[in-house]
Amino acid sequence: MSELDHWHPVALSRELGAKPLRATLHGRNLALFRTRDGVGALDDACAHRGYPLHKGRVEGDQLVCPYHGWRWSADGRGASPGTPCAKPCAVAWDCVERLGAVWVKPAGADAAFPYVDVGGHTEIGTTRCRAKAPLEVVLDNFIEVEHTPSVHAFLGYRPGTIAAVDCETTVTDDAVRVFNHGPQRPLPKPLRRVFDIPDDAHFIDDWTTRFSPVHTVYEQYFLAGSHGPRAGEALRIAVFFTPVGPKETDLFVLAYTNATRWESPVSAALRIPLVMALVELEVRRDCALLADMADAPVSLTGRALGRFDKALTASRKRIERIYRGRREGALPVVDEG
Amino acid sequence: MASSPEVVVLGAGPSGLAVGACLRQRGVTFSLLERAAAVGSAWRNHYDRLHLHTVKQHSSLPFAPFPDHVPQYPSRQDVVDYLDAYARHFDLAPRFGESASRVARADGRYTVTHTTGTTTARAVVVATGYNRVPLVPRWPSDDRFAGAITHSSGYHHGRAWRGKRALVVGAGNSGAEIAMDLWEAGASSVSLCVRGPLHVMPRDLYGVPAQVNSLRLAGRLPPRVADAVSLALVHRALGDLSPWGIRRPARGPVTQLLEEKRVPLIDVGTVALIKQNKIRVVPGITRFTETGVVFEDGRELPFDGVVLATGYRTGIDEFLDGAQEVLDGRGHPRVYGEEAAPGLYFVGYRNPITGQLHDIALEARRVADHIARRTS
Repeated sequence: MSELDHWHPVALSRELGAKPLRATLHGRNLALFRTRDGVGALDDACAHRGYPLHKGRVEGDQLVCPYHGWRWSADGRGASPGTPCAKPCAVAWDCVERLGAVWVKPAGADAAFPYVDVGGHTEIGTTRCRAKAPLEVVLDNFIEVEHTPSVHAFLGYRPGTIAAVDCETTVTDDAVRVFNHGPQRPLPKPLRRVFDIPDDAHFIDDWTTRFSPVHTVYEQYFLAGSHGPRAGEALRIAVFFTPVGPKETDLFVLAYTNATRWESPVSAALRIPLVMALVELEVRRDCALLADMADAPVSLTGRALGRFDKALTASRKRIERIYRGRREGALPVVDEG
Repeated sequence: MASSPEVVVLGAGPSGLAVGACLRQRGVTFSLLERAAAVGSAWRNHYDRLHLHTVKQHSSLPFAPFPDHVPQYPSRQDVVDYLDAYARHFDLAPRFGESASRVARADGRYTVTHTTGTTTARAVVVATGYNRVPLVPRWPSDDRFAGAITHSSGYHHGRAWRGKRALVVGAGNSGAEIAMDLWEAGASSVSLCVRGPLHVMPRDLYGVPAQVNSLRLAGRLPPRVADAVSLALVHRALGDLSPWGIRRPARGPVTQLLEEKRVPLIDVGTVALIKQNKIRVVPGITRFTETGVVFEDGRELPFDGVVLATGYRTGIDEFLDGAQEVLDGRGHPRVYGEEAAPGLYFVGYRNPITGQLHDIALEARRVADHIARRTS
């Protein structure tokens, strides 16, 4: 199993309309297109002369190359109008549309679709953001809370009190879980009222990272007081990390809430877009910061690490073993291309 | 109390617990017998990813709403936790490991024979659930099939199915969701056997749960109007599924529910996979071969394993004397939520689209009221 052999999200559903779209995964360019039955993904170079297929058009269930009019089905079978007896083949990817995104894996690759337990929740929205830094560096930022007082506007903990935040890391064979518990940072009163957050609330950020593909699911909620009952709305947010290239990583953010839309539709119609806007704002702050980390060393060896960084080292090992399919202790593969 | 309760309640699932809480509140003594080692054993045993298809706001048992943090559709684990907390909160003290082998009536009292003895009471509430015994149909030469044939009651997740060719039989809610689970788990192919025409309804329409729509509209519209409205909405949401092998019955969903007691399939994502050709719909099974199945359209397809989501039976006739007088042809009680025979009650054998738990809460109150009136 290599880093390609997982179900990766490569576009949001709303980004793929009637026109084909180019997506990039680990440096491989793909042409995504919609058919009557769903979505298709082919290598973004016509098997005939290499013309980028995402510039083509969809006719029926086929993607038509604008150069010589060769036609391609989502399963890779092709037809040449000028050479009807030819049976050309394109490199087709398994492609599916789920959870508001378009996902691909190499045809026949033996991978499970990541299970995100949101079957009981209400969808808030989806967004995508490109972080110009390597996968590991981007993931690092998303699995520690130490940066939240300085980088974020609303999310996370109060500047100056990060030392008071409890952080518990537990690891299993295929997952790394971090449980953070600390006093909520001061929020503007209107915002507290919208989300029903008590004055002395504590914020729990409880997330689990899995590695096929690399993704983290956050459970974020408030307690009334330091050990009081749960209060206010709870969010469940899945973030998928899709490497575009060695120094670019796309974040696919799928956000859900435990609140309903139908109980008080008017307030939900105002609140839900507001929550999504806040989620996007915070993710963009992370991405802006990460742009300055593009050339930071990926390796953690020899770095000075704090108590919030246990998940970082645990995740590196699992990225190597589960995501990249390398045995532990094996020498890294040097890409000489 | 256990030696001579006024009432024996069989089963500590949602129905038995709800009846227990209502009896306790009305000061009626009871003994709650449960064959498993914990409350809500059916819920503990269902497949992992299951969520209620009804919202928690309309699915709680009497006197105790679901906790605030639980999402609108509680997960299987949320339901188990809720039932545990419910039993503790009302101190219902079920007697675990007590399987009723016989319920007989003589001289106006019931004698319940169970694992460790007998208990007599003037009333019995049967709350053993409508999924007590798996229903396992047989097909010609199914014993020759080399793969595993598993009933959905033994299916928890699809991890063992990666790379395998799976057939799911039965297009109820479980079958449809298990087919989706198998596809996600990485089964190399998934087929869903749909024998006849079938109404499919998305769980939510424009953010409103199907259950909430049903509760709002129930009884307010004539069935034919309700049929037309729901079909138009469903058509907009899901489109015509006949190209994929799912045909719509001639009768509308509401009429079908009223006249045949058939509930539509509540879709939680399977239809999207069917329309993307990730799950293949196949017709009824004619016979098995060593390596696969021959279908009614003559097609033969190879499979590594089969999951039977073919439902359950109540199994009430296995322990209740004179069961045939109170059960219908399918083994379901003819009368539920009120006295079915003197001192005999059934709770939890209906599955209306307004929600089974919603109904259990109503039935439990009615039954407890009836029993309490007879005591005083």
